[in-house]
Amino acid sequence: MSRRRFMIMGINAAGAATGLLIAAPIVGDILSPVFYKSKQPWVMVADIRHVPVGVPTAYVVMLNDSGDAWQVPAVPRTVYVVKANLSNAVQLITLSNVCTHMQCDVHWDVNLQVFLCPCHGGLYSMIGTNIGGPPPQPLFRYQHKLVGTTLYVRNVLTEGQ
Amino acid sequence: MAEELERSVLVGRLTRPISGLMATTYRWVDERLGVTDLVHQLLYEAVPRRGAWAYSLGSATLILIVLQIVTGMFLLWTYVPSTTEAWLSLNFIEHHDEFAAIVRGMHLWGAYILFVVIGLHMVRTFVSGSYKKPRELNWIVGVVLFLLVLGLGITGAMLPWDQAAYWTATVVTHVVDYFPIFGTQLQEILRGGPQMGPATLTRFFAIHIWLLPALLVPLIGLHLILLRRHGEHGSWVNYEGVEEETEAERAERMARAEAPYPALPSDPGYAVPMDLDDFFPSQVFKDALVSFGLVLLIFIMAIVIGAPIERAANPAALNYVPTPEWFFLPLDQLLVQFPQAWMIPVGVFILPGIGTTLLILVPFLDRTPGRQPWRRPEVMVPALFVLLFLIFEAMLAVNRLFNL
Amino acid sequence: MHLLGALAPQLTPVPISTGVATILVAVIMTMHVQFAAWQQGGYIILAVSDFMGWKRKSEHHDRFSRGLVTMLGASFALGGSLAIFAVVILFTGLWSHFWVTLLRVLFWPLLAEAAAFVGEIACLYPLYARWEQLGRVRGLRVGLEVLLFVNASIQMLLINMVASYMLTPRPAFNLPLIMFNPTMIPLEIHRFVGNIAFAGAIIALVAGIRLLRRAKAPQLRAYVDWMGQYGLVWAIGFTIAQPLVGWEYAKEIQLHAYASWYDMMLGGLSVAFLFQVFLLGLIFTGGIFYLWRRVRASGFRSPALAVCTALSFLAWLLISTPSSLAWSYESVFAANANVPIWQGGLLIPWGAMIPWKLTALVTFTGVAIVAITLYLKHVSRGRLHWGDAGKSQAVALIAVGVSISLIMALMGYIRENSRGPFLITNHMLINQQQDFTPPSASGPALNGPASGVSIIMPSDLHP
Repeated sequence: MSRRRFMIMGINAAGAATGLLIAAPIVGDILSPVFYKSKQPWVMVADIRHVPVGVPTAYVVMLNDSGDAWQVPAVPRTVYVVKANLSNAVQLITLSNVCTHMQCDVHWDVNLQVFLCPCHGGLYSMIGTNIGGPPPQPLFRYQHKLVGTTLYVRNVLTEGQ
Repeated sequence: MAEELERSVLVGRLTRPISGLMATTYRWVDERLGVTDLVHQLLYEAVPRRGAWAYSLGSATLILIVLQIVTGMFLLWTYVPSTTEAWLSLNFIEHHDEFAAIVRGMHLWGAYILFVVIGLHMVRTFVSGSYKKPRELNWIVGVVLFLLVLGLGITGAMLPWDQAAYWTATVVTHVVDYFPIFGTQLQEILRGGPQMGPATLTRFFAIHIWLLPALLVPLIGLHLILLRRHGEHGSWVNYEGVEEETEAERAERMARAEAPYPALPSDPGYAVPMDLDDFFPSQVFKDALVSFGLVLLIFIMAIVIGAPIERAANPAALNYVPTPEWFFLPLDQLLVQFPQAWMIPVGVFILPGIGTTLLILVPFLDRTPGRQPWRRPEVMVPALFVLLFLIFEAMLAVNRLFNL
Repeated sequence: MHLLGALAPQLTPVPISTGVATILVAVIMTMHVQFAAWQQGGYIILAVSDFMGWKRKSEHHDRFSRGLVTMLGASFALGGSLAIFAVVILFTGLWSHFWVTLLRVLFWPLLAEAAAFVGEIACLYPLYARWEQLGRVRGLRVGLEVLLFVNASIQMLLINMVASYMLTPRPAFNLPLIMFNPTMIPLEIHRFVGNIAFAGAIIALVAGIRLLRRAKAPQLRAYVDWMGQYGLVWAIGFTIAQPLVGWEYAKEIQLHAYASWYDMMLGGLSVAFLFQVFLLGLIFTGGIFYLWRRVRASGFRSPALAVCTALSFLAWLLISTPSSLAWSYESVFAANANVPIWQGGLLIPWGAMIPWKLTALVTFTGVAIVAITLYLKHVSRGRLHWGDAGKSQAVALIAVGVSISLIMALMGYIRENSRGPFLITNHMLINQQQDFTPPSASGPALNGPASGVSIIMPSDLHP
């Protein structure tokens, strides 16, 4: 190997190594959100005796965004509390109002008697089933628990039906 | 020869009116920097004579991008990229800082007009077949620039962190969730977490002010270098009669061509326009007038309408109707029309992906003879349909949002 | 409404049953729509043809424009009379309650509509009567044709406001909201594009019949052959936009008049709609088949066009597949058979709207764009010799022409019937026309959904 050839190889190797040293942490930085983990506390919503049967009722609760960054630990989110009369038994469902299509904010439309998404016209039934428009799946449901008649939710979503 | 003389006088003007110490200083600087040579290279060049007003769209695009960079720099005097303060800082501008509000208005309207102008520039280039050999790479660079500008538009729209910005960012980042296999991870990377949050804003801020401009600026340089290397093609009006001319006439036309012509030709006859003009001052004059008109329009819109700001972002919104920026309306409409499960990626990735790929590959797909649009139906007809569909989609999107 | 209510009991109804009145109005309106679409689409084809004849010095275009203007002038006289007959006699006589209400709600658009007829006459008849003289200043003649087209487009825009208002009404006191109601823009684009396609198809139909029958002299045959392909390119070219716009139109109906949408897609009208998409597939497949065979008739093989024809045919089969073996979803539900046929049910999964019919629509759109492009490439290279067209092409032209005419009539039938018992959705019933009693404060609920319509969604059936 000539002296000249050696130096060219050296330049290439040093260049590649320098690039790797710079790129590795940057790539890690870009990918880091994938590996975040977080814990979710229970947050009080309401006394369910105040929720009418058959009328989805919106409550705003402060929920942690899982895996979020350094500040604003809790942001306001809407939880739709539904007491649905299904086959003669009242079922309690806590729906997220985030559309499963593009995550816009759905609301209960009193005239149409459906959840309507204003972005692209997604339609959901009272229990969150996607019945029209682009949504690929039913509305997600927040995990909830009852302590007496007090309803608590936490920011852990389960798939709807 | 007369033209040569006129030019030397022009260059001479940089030195002639000054004398004594000034002249000495100029000569000292010129010897070291090469100012005279640089001015020569930048200004003195042949361009096609006919249709010159249409060719000013490119320089207008350049001026508008420079306007965006300058106004953007000064928005950073106030703007704070944080979910708690971004809206407050811009709200302050809108209500307490009149001049900053104008700067922000110019940044917004400059972006809007830029989309129109860059679109027209593309249509002009497409219709005149200017992407044909040897200018294929310049077309591709242009398409990449167009995509970068679209990216700047959408990331810029997210920064105010008002309702419009928040929901735009939500939808845009959620679109990638439908990407096969890595969708969810891509969304988390863009958002800095599974949901929208402070990291989302800082990421898009960095992309908007550093990442995309850092790609944009060098590519603009390349675009201009390639333009100068091959000369401006113009359009078919600059080559009327090339099919009838004899070999001798063509040779004579090649021989008296001025730099940068003759370009490496795809068809004999299209290497040199029939009539040439000087870039300076003929073309620059038209460019200057068009750019002035556009900047004036932007200035007026900035003062009269300005850049409105909606209420601060509220993730718990119930009745807010998110509307995308107008230049994304056709894409938003595709979200409506391709519903459910595996059809959604068709609307958000496959169709726009095919469109973008075809747009990039246009110079290699177009094997038509000649440059007249009516002799190139195999590119003009699909392009017309695409344009028609974009217009229809935008109209339908406006109608849908108006009636919600 | 209050004034009307006070007046109405004093009016003696015309002694005709609602059924007969409905049929009368339906027949006249179907004819009226066909005439109006022909005029509106014909005007733009006229302007473009005359311009091409002028700039490209094309004899075919010149001859065609001359013939077209004669046809348009004659058909306007007939179609205009029909429109006046429909409005003055049928509407005021048979559906007076409806007609007076429409006039009151949409007074200004309808007034402008009537005034626009003056503009149409003022533009059309000079062209009809003094074609050659006007041709001395060719730019002026083309300008007049463009004016005619613009006038007709405004006319159609105005009447579309009325037609779309009937399906998706807005509050009666807000005229801008009424004019730009949810289905106005989709209907406007759907008809604008459709009318041009329809006019092109009628031209192709005429040429097809002449090719089969009389055109034997070489020069005449060359012209008729050219005219057939010219009309067909207009017809197919503009039908390409229809799946997209129609899809959106249905989407807006779903959001703003759900019962109508349900009736069309899943209810009693779904079979009619299936026939509708069958016709759409016929138009695309027949048109693309024509393009392929026409290129072949001049001696050029085009495997790409053959593939286009085959793809379009497959999409046609796909889109014509019914989604169940019953007349509507209600029957499927009633028979408790909402499982695929191989599990003993009535559903045919390949007939589902999403994703299969949508896939077929996207296929038609893409394939037709490719086919038209390939065909025009052959034309622009001067490869096609006019007069070569054979029998199969003539039949294809006739098939496309007849299908487009049928699809328009059927579309009107579906649109009018989807409003169910209403003339104006949730505001006015058909049976109020002959036997009108003013709505009392506590009377029948005209604002609620139609009674007797039970809504069952496929996703409720199999979650």
